[in-house]
Formats: sequence, C-alpha cells, structure tokens
Amino acid sequence: MKKRWLTMTLAAVVMAGSLAACSGKKTEENGGAESGGSDSGEKTVISYWTGDRHDSEFIKEVVDEYNATNKDNIEVDLVIKGDDFDQALDMSFQTSEPPDVIRVKENTIQTFYKKGYLAPIDEFLKEEHKAAFPEMPDLNSFEGKRYSLPNYGTTMRLIYNKELFAKAGVTAPPTTLAELVDVAKKLTAAGKESGAYGFAQNFKNPGSAFGRSSRVIAEVSGFGGFGYDFKTAQYDFSHFKPIIEAFKQIKDDGSMLPGVESLDIDPLRAQFAEGKIGMYLSFSAEAGVYTSQFPAKIEWAAAPAPSIDGSFNGASGFLGGQWLALSSKTTKKEAAWKFMSYMYSESLLQQYQEKGFGISMVPSVSEVAATPQVKGIEGFLPNPYDGVWPVYPVVAVQGTKSDDAFFKYMVSGGDLDAIIKDLNERYNAALAQAVKNGEVKAEPDPNFDPKALAGKFAK
Amino acid sequence: MNKAKNVVFSYSFLLPSSILTVVLGIYPIVWAMRYMFFDYKGYGEERFIGLDNFARIWTDHEYWDSVLNTFIYAGGKLALSLPLALLLAVILNRGLRGRGVIRALLFMPTIISTAVMAVVFFAIFNSYNGILNQFLMKYNLIGSPVDWLGVDHAMLSVILVAVWGALGNYMLLFLAGLQNIPQDVYESSSLDGAGRWQQFRYITIPMLGPVMQMIVMLAIINALKGYESIMVMTDGGPIGKTNVMFLYVFKLFFPTASGSAATQVQEMGYGSAVAFVTALIVGAITIVYFYGSRRMSRND
Repeated sequence: MKKRWLTMTLAAVVMAGSLAACSGKKTEENGGAESGGSDSGEKTVISYWTGDRHDSEFIKEVVDEYNATNKDNIEVDLVIKGDDFDQALDMSFQTSEPPDVIRVKENTIQTFYKKGYLAPIDEFLKEEHKAAFPEMPDLNSFEGKRYSLPNYGTTMRLIYNKELFAKAGVTAPPTTLAELVDVAKKLTAAGKESGAYGFAQNFKNPGSAFGRSSRVIAEVSGFGGFGYDFKTAQYDFSHFKPIIEAFKQIKDDGSMLPGVESLDIDPLRAQFAEGKIGMYLSFSAEAGVYTSQFPAKIEWAAAPAPSIDGSFNGASGFLGGQWLALSSKTTKKEAAWKFMSYMYSESLLQQYQEKGFGISMVPSVSEVAATPQVKGIEGFLPNPYDGVWPVYPVVAVQGTKSDDAFFKYMVSGGDLDAIIKDLNERYNAALAQAVKNGEVKAEPDPNFDPKALAGKFAK
Repeated sequence: MNKAKNVVFSYSFLLPSSILTVVLGIYPIVWAMRYMFFDYKGYGEERFIGLDNFARIWTDHEYWDSVLNTFIYAGGKLALSLPLALLLAVILNRGLRGRGVIRALLFMPTIISTAVMAVVFFAIFNSYNGILNQFLMKYNLIGSPVDWLGVDHAMLSVILVAVWGALGNYMLLFLAGLQNIPQDVYESSSLDGAGRWQQFRYITIPMLGPVMQMIVMLAIINALKGYESIMVMTDGGPIGKTNVMFLYVFKLFFPTASGSAATQVQEMGYGSAVAFVTALIVGAITIVYFYGSRRMSRND
C-alpha cells in the first residue's frame, strides 16, 4: 500500500512538473514583455525574421552593429529562416510568438496583409519618408494605408556563360524565342563534350521555373506574366503558347541540361557557376549568388530577356516595392519602428546597393549610390525596358495549375491549344468566384498600356 | 473502497497521456473537421458551403492521381521492405559472428532524420552529377546518365529510399518476434528430420503470425502516410509522378510561394475535406487488412 502511494505521489509530481513546464514559457514571456519597454536598465528585445539568404552576412553585420551602438537599449534578435519562412510565420501567429519585424516580399505582402499579420506604419511616417519612398498600391500600401517601404527591386534577365558563347561562336545574347532555341542548340553542340548544355530551368518547382522565365518573356512582350490580362480583367494564357513551345523545343532538341525535371534553383546555380549551363533566366539576386554563395568559375553576364518576336511591347518586371513591415501583434511597436528606421536609413540602403544585394528602388538612394561592387551586376541595373507591373488577382483554381500543366506539356506533349483553353476556363471560373466572394478585385482597364510601365527607372 | 482507489490510481496514470492525446490529437482533428464544410482560405471570411468540398474531391483528378501514386509507392515499399526485413531477421537471429554490428548498421537509418536522409539521397540520385550515375558510368554499367529523379524513374527512387529507411526498423521488430519462438520447437522438428526451409515455412512463419500481423499493419499505415522524403527529393514531381496523398494535403494547407509571386492560395477548407477523405481511405485499408489477416493472429 505504501509503495502504491509512493508511486501515485511520483506520478503527481511528474504531472505537475510537465504542467509547470507548459506554463513556464508564458511566465517568462510576460516577464519579458513587462520589463521590455519601461525599465531603462533592461534591453528591449525585438525579433526580426527574414527568409533572405543572399544578403544574410551583411544583414547580420548591420544588426550586430545596431545592437552594439543604438542608444535606445534595443536588442534585435535576427532570425534567418529557410524555405519554410511562410509556414513558420503562420505557426508563430497561431502560437502567439510572432516576430516584431517581418521581411515582406512581392509574393507575400498581400497574403500577410489579408491574414492580418501586418500593422500600418502611417503613424510613424514623416513627410520626408513619404517623399523619399514611393507608394505602390498592393505592393506596399493597402486601402490607403502604408505597410512597408521599398528598398531594392529585382530585375529579371537572361544570364549567360560568356565563355561558352565565345566557344560556340555566338556573338550576342538572343532577343527572340527563335534565337533562344537556336543559341541553346549551338551552345550545346559546342559544350556537350565537356558536359555543358545550352539552357536550364529549375523544374523541381515548375512555378519557380516559369516564374523566372516565361513570366519575364511574356511581360517584355506586353502580356501579364501570370496569364492575367489587365485590359479585360480576365485570364488568357494563349500568349504563353509560343513561349512554352520554345521551351519544349529546347528540351526536345536535347539543348536542356539533363535532369532539369528534379532540378532546384540552387543546384542549377551551382552548375552554372561550374560552366555547365549556357543560359537561364532569373532575378538580379544571381549576381550576389555568384560572388558569395557559388563563386563563378566562368565569365558570365546578364542581358535583357528575349521577347516573343524581338519587339518590346511591355515592361520587364522590376519587382519589389516593399522590404520590412511591422507585425500587428508586436507589443514593442516603438522599438520595432526605431529598428526599421535604422534599416531604412539612406546610408544603409546605399550600402545595400553598392554591395550588390539589390538594385535600389528609392530614387534618392539611386542618385547617390555607386554601381554595386559585384561582378556582373551591370547587366542587371535598370534599363529602359524595366517597369513595375500592377499586382494581379491570385485565385484558388481547381485542378492542375498553369505551371504544372505547361511543364507536363513540355515533358509529355499533348494538345497545347486544348490545355490553354482548359486553363482559361478554370482560371476565369475561379476568378469569377473569388470576385463574387469579395476575395479579390478585378476590373477591366481598356486603357491599360503595358509599354507605359517601362522607362521610369532608366531612360 | 479499495476498488474505487484502484480506479483513481489507474486513471491517474492515464491522465497525462490522455491530456496530450486530446490537445495534440483530437482537438486538431475536430478543428480541421469543422472546416470541411467551409470555403476558408486561411484568412478572411469562412463561408459555409455544405458538401461542395466533397463534390470537388470527386472530380479532382490530381487528388485521385495522388491516391493511385500512394498505392504504387506503398505497394512497392511493402513488397520490398517486409520480405527483406524478415530474411535479414532470420539470418541475424542465428549465431552469426558480428551480428550485433550488422543489426546496429541496419537499424541506423531509422534514427536518421528523414529530411537529412532525403537530402543525401538527392545528392546520390541527382542525374547530372549524382554519385550513383558516376559510379555506374565508371564501371561501364550505363552508357549515359540516368535521370533517376525524372519522369520514368522517380517513383522507383523514392521507393528505394523508403525501403532503406524502413528496413532496419521492421527487421528489429521481426527479430523480437523470432526470439519469442521457443528453441525446443526447432530442436524437436530437427529430430523429426525437418530441413531449414520446412522449419521456416511450418514453424517460423506460423509462430510469428501475431507479431507479423502487427508489423504489416504498422508498415501499411506508415507507407500510406509517408511523404516527407518525397517532399525533399522530388516535391511530388516531376509532373506529379510522385505526388502522394499526404503531400497533396500538405500543399493545400501550406502552398509554397513560387518564383517571386504568390501563385497559389492556401485552401484550409478544401484541404480539411481532402485530409478527411484521405484518413478514411487509410482507415478503410487498415480495417480490411485487419479483418483479412485474422488468421495470422491465431497461433494454432
């Protein structure tokens, strides 16, 4: 009997211990929050979450410097997440431990805004901020309120191996789809013996592959990069037909790097750095990648993306307009904004461009910042074809997504017209439903001129 | 009084795990089940749409393709891993020199993180500069690189990785079962002139029955639920060839942003309905198996 009571007591102790462990975090948190802002003796700790890796060393340095030098007793806890950034953020908001400052991107700010993760920053914005940082609807402001400010923008280019071009006797990068197919063939013929191929795409994630290739080709040709037509407010994928056919042709010709079906972007970059890929399409972050992440062993350069037929009727997407945002759940708004102000200081943004992490979208910074100290960045600097496209309405389409359908066509063939007809029907049905539910807005703009988007960042 | 105390005593032991089961198991299931009848994108309005999500599943070819892929994946994994695990267990149950080391080596994959394992296998199978192709080409076993993670071979590759990961675990369970079979049965059968194959067929297999029934059941459930290594190696591709049920469900809840624009929408409502149907499929298969394998548990 005595033994039984002893066991019961032990069980109770274990239970109490585990319950205490569950609640321990809360107590610590409360204590932390209370001592946070008011007590001048203790540090106010704020957390900043980013998913960026291309600038991680620089960001670590500037955060360390801020922690060492700021007079407000603020300590920034920098958290660099990987590909699971969005999921980790979702989890953090569900478990009441969200960050105070969040890195927002072109592809996340709308979602984070709709989910209520972001707090407007209007109360902190002074006139000088408003004058310096351009407001961009749906990219940094929603319903008249500002949620973020631009830092750098990302341009999209054709990145090519100069040495392989020279070996194949190709003197200029392709400007049309027909030339793209042809050059890929020539590069493969010249490089195959040493294991080099003309073209590559990262099809492990078809959305990522087309989002950096067919998108920009469509955009410079005057069509929405995701199939949405801003003139009619309808989805129309028919403009993608020649682009997808050209990619398929490259693959059928044997000019595509073997194994692209399971290729991720980093392995693709590693192969390019080794000189095994002739050309691919991607973002301006690549310049930094070939300096630090995968130092390039070859001479390379970036050129404007080709258009469908050589004529430029649109604008090559200059992506960005946002960088940091305040969390809606932060209890240390003042401290978080102070850190944001530091990050948005002209000198820091200037360094950001000069070190080659991105091309400034802030006119006052562009004026003073020198050309980035990164090899190959020249080709990524804004040219007369670059421009900011409006944000298209993302819809929950039923069935196969456009990227998957196009990739399937590239691999196994089929009737591309029928595939496009099916995509148009399904995307427009989903759009109509989303508009009806008030989830998105889609209004026709008959005067929409894609060509007018270009030329605002360089003449 | 004594009985009442006994009851309290027993329940006090059940309580901690019951709390965890409710909080981490039952509550999330109930939470998700509620959304089956809603159109909910993870934010904004939750619209009640009755059984529309289920009607959508019926016509969702991608989902049914993923169900078929799951059966191929699970079938392949079970067909290779279980007989192999049993064979290894029988061999290692004998007085073999160094068997402890071999057992430990075979069990090792079980304790390695699935994600780490999948990253390593990605490097091995990678068609362009993967170790496997380089090895096979060095010894002239293949003429040109094989796209192990391409359309034609991706399923085979992910099955092999799954077998590698599961083999040691099942082997260990079989070993535990084998060690419970009394030695005298084998000895007396030897006296009666039974050979090794006869011993295996008429003693080992029947006496392993109840254990084997449980191992096979666990293996079936694990194989139907597995998706982590696939996510790392192929992410369900290429063109959905390795997209299994739970990966499909995962992507509905956590769509990955591709390129630099959000091209997909989180579908909590539909995802919950798909998760429910998927759970029903796994449950139904398990029940059918259990019913069909009743003979195995009769140790006579």
